[in-house]
Amino acid sequence: MTTVLASPAPAAPLLDPTCFGVYVHVPFCLTRCHYCDFVTYTGMEGLRGPYAAALLDEAAMAARALGPEPPVVTSVFVGGGTPTLLPPGDLARVLARLRALLPLAPDAEVTVEANPETVDQAVAGGLVEAGVTRVSMGAQSFDDRVLATLGRVHDAARVTAAVAALRAAGVPAVNLDLIYGGPGEDAGSWSATLAAAVALRPEHLSAYALTIEPATKFGRLVAAGRMAEPDEDQLADRYDTARAVLAGAGYGHYEISNWAALGPGEPADVLPAHASRHNLTYWRRGRYLGLGAGAHEFDGETRRWNLPGVPAYLKAVRAGRRPTEGQERLDPGQARFEALALRLRTADGLERAEARVLGVDPSGPNAAELREAGLLAPGPGLRLTERGMFLHGEVVARLA
Amino acid sequence: MPSDLTRLRNFCIIAHIDHGKSTLADRLLDLTHAVSERNMRAQYLDKMDLERERGITIKAQAVRLAYTAADRREYVLNLIDTPGHVDFTYEVSRALAACEGAVLLVDAAQGIEAQTLANLYLAVEADLAVIPVINKIDLPAAQPDRVAREIEQVLGVPAEEMLRVSAKTGEGVPELLEAVVHRVPPPKGDPDAPARALVFDSLYDPYRGVIAYLRMVDGRLARNDRVRMMAVGHVSEAEEVGAFAPEAVATQELRAGEVGYLIPGVKDVRQVRVGDTVTTAGRPAAEPLPGYREPRPMVYSGLYPIEGDDFPDLRDALDRLRLNDAALAYEPESSTALGFGFRCGFLGLLHMDIVRERLEREFDLALITTAPNVAYRVTLETGETIMVSNPSELPPAGSIQRIEEPYVAAMVLCPADYIGPVMDLCQGRRGELGTMEYLSEERVELRYQLPLGEIIFDFFDQLKSRTRGYASLDYEPSGYREADLVKVDLLLQGEPVDAFSAIVHKDKAYAYGRAMTSKLKRLIPRQLYEVPIQATIGAKVIARETIAARRKDVLAKCYGGDVTRKRKLLERQKEGKRRMKQIGRVEVPQEAFVAALRTDEG
Repeated sequence: MTTVLASPAPAAPLLDPTCFGVYVHVPFCLTRCHYCDFVTYTGMEGLRGPYAAALLDEAAMAARALGPEPPVVTSVFVGGGTPTLLPPGDLARVLARLRALLPLAPDAEVTVEANPETVDQAVAGGLVEAGVTRVSMGAQSFDDRVLATLGRVHDAARVTAAVAALRAAGVPAVNLDLIYGGPGEDAGSWSATLAAAVALRPEHLSAYALTIEPATKFGRLVAAGRMAEPDEDQLADRYDTARAVLAGAGYGHYEISNWAALGPGEPADVLPAHASRHNLTYWRRGRYLGLGAGAHEFDGETRRWNLPGVPAYLKAVRAGRRPTEGQERLDPGQARFEALALRLRTADGLERAEARVLGVDPSGPNAAELREAGLLAPGPGLRLTERGMFLHGEVVARLA
Repeated sequence: MPSDLTRLRNFCIIAHIDHGKSTLADRLLDLTHAVSERNMRAQYLDKMDLERERGITIKAQAVRLAYTAADRREYVLNLIDTPGHVDFTYEVSRALAACEGAVLLVDAAQGIEAQTLANLYLAVEADLAVIPVINKIDLPAAQPDRVAREIEQVLGVPAEEMLRVSAKTGEGVPELLEAVVHRVPPPKGDPDAPARALVFDSLYDPYRGVIAYLRMVDGRLARNDRVRMMAVGHVSEAEEVGAFAPEAVATQELRAGEVGYLIPGVKDVRQVRVGDTVTTAGRPAAEPLPGYREPRPMVYSGLYPIEGDDFPDLRDALDRLRLNDAALAYEPESSTALGFGFRCGFLGLLHMDIVRERLEREFDLALITTAPNVAYRVTLETGETIMVSNPSELPPAGSIQRIEEPYVAAMVLCPADYIGPVMDLCQGRRGELGTMEYLSEERVELRYQLPLGEIIFDFFDQLKSRTRGYASLDYEPSGYREADLVKVDLLLQGEPVDAFSAIVHKDKAYAYGRAMTSKLKRLIPRQLYEVPIQATIGAKVIARETIAARRKDVLAKCYGGDVTRKRKLLERQKEGKRRMKQIGRVEVPQEAFVAALRTDEG
């Protein structure tokens, strides 16, 4: 498995042909969190059943379009929203339909996102039965006060219980999402959250700097001057803490906001085995299908996305069409820029030859200055240092 | 038109901004039926849009009114409008020189203001008959008796000789017309002498070229005459002469005593300068009329296009503006921070604002303006004297023997209650008090010698805010004086930013340095490296701030659904980088320069 990830064709940075993902979007939530601007809706209980049915139909249409010899699926990711809000059995039916329509690699990663309050023993068992290999859970914090300010409905104890349920059911891999920089958090509560998360020994951890999006409750509070934007230095301090704590706990930092538990003797400087294969497909510019309202897909040349509204989505699928809202075909310059930005996100960066294909001279003056400033690691290729990871935007803007 | 001079009256109106001059002019036009109802619009004499919006008069205008007086005789009244701002004192003096009388218009609620007084002194010096008029008597806040006492104190005219009018309602205006006929003397002048005409204003018309506003003093000028500008020396053929009634009406000729216009067939206002004397080439006058002066810039500023590509457009725009603004001076200069632009000289701050606004409005240019400064007279150790109008060009301190700066004689009129705050302000600006005189119990005239450089920033705003708007200011140049001046440079990571160099008094250098370093720290985004900002005098650092190195510039999440949006964010960031100005290794967004150069904040 690691060979597939760590040894791409060196001169093909624009497209990783070794992976092919399927993303399925479930746009339902019990409540909307204060920072979230994803395509998701509260209520709409009556539409959840019909929506699951439409996903089956859209999957069939998408599979047909791939022709008689579709690529082997290396990962499936059911995200949301809250996928575990689909009626029991529907999630399993969607995964089964995908298996029937497309060849699935024997070691394919099948991830489902879940919120702690929706996971109990029964749900966990159902996921394993449906062939789910990985559950990604939105823990966000282990400080109840912070959870409340983020607008989450669960508490820290619920996260611990949900992880225990997943373990008991035999889910092979668990990821926990964490957010830092939110109102109500301080250095102590963030350290405590990291310690509590690590104590559960998840195979994977994502830690995100709070980003204020305009169309969220936080966005409106900031615009109205009633909440401060997260402070740059404070976010950087939190990030430093996360890097130190997670490295000490045996996690490899393989992407700006992602860490994977390292096996015994596993080197920390290549992509770890527990890295998310599905997400690596995005960062390596692999192809993926996108099914469901608002889902995006990429066929190697064109990025295409679905209508975000559930009724419009249902209508289009019932009429026998992919519910496309928009698409863009990237010109070569855009594709190179995108590849540079995506590939620099992960710790492996770009080989020297790959950088050249993207039009960047890895020994040119811009790269040299970034190395001197400590943002790029020494060496023939382009690789962000730990400090450089948090200045990814600046590095891309200078190199492109 | 009556042919004899005894039926002719040339007069102007002296008034402070907002004291009702334009409204009074409108009423006079009404009463003499000079403008048809259809063409009448408020503030008829103010032609430019900008003037109408700001409610001030930039260019002098003239209009001929036909008036049948109470004695049943017909008179021709030439009303010459004058600009009402300290920047244009010379233009005012020329307009006054074209008249025999002046209406002194004072707001019944406000009383005499400094500019009014300054212009009144000019009128008295020019031997004009002055008719004091108290306006806005219809206002509830009007205090005509108090204002009458002030005028009496200043002019020595008994209160009963003052007229009380409301230009708004028209009350008292017919009496004013009678007073103009009876109190303003008819023009004198020798109709048979060689022609001499005073140019009291000129403007550029895109179809006709330059139009000169004239007061014929001696002789006559007719269409097709070869005319000569005595100071400039330019000779051309008169395409047209005429009067304003109020639109231009061509006439056969202009005769001694009359006011009118001349179209000399010239394309550039610099060849037809205010104050010059027009004569005929065939029979030239021996002596020009007195009082001609070259326009002299008082305030300088760098004008730079925000988009470097607009430089040629800015050059074209300035070339075109100069066609009707003889006082505008400019020459190209370049700045490491701002690129290519022009160092421009202006008569004053209002003139500068007007030029900048016209460039932006009429020519659609986005500009950065450096902080205004004055021209310094610098004597070098070699004995050579140079003028420095761009602070970054001041030679090193070691090669300078002395620096002199321009001073003005300033007059401030304010209510007696505010003497304290006004004196504090003037002292803080290195002012020297000359005289202090009470115009009435409530109003005081203060005279100061002030460095011009100290009043071109926010002096007027400060004066207004410290006196709740009641003080007024007028000033005129009063020569150069040696001063303890230093150049303060601003350095970013050791690299000087020329646009921020300033020549300031030694006692104020630290305050300037501290203010600018902290302002720049606030405005310049964090960089890859820690960036020191220093203010220096020569090699000596007088203030320092540090911009910490940037620590976060990252899109925390980027997954399958975000790629397009996040790529666009990064593309925009890269584009933004391209527009940054590079000072050494420091990238400064254009907006930071613009904000730092704004004088109205921090």
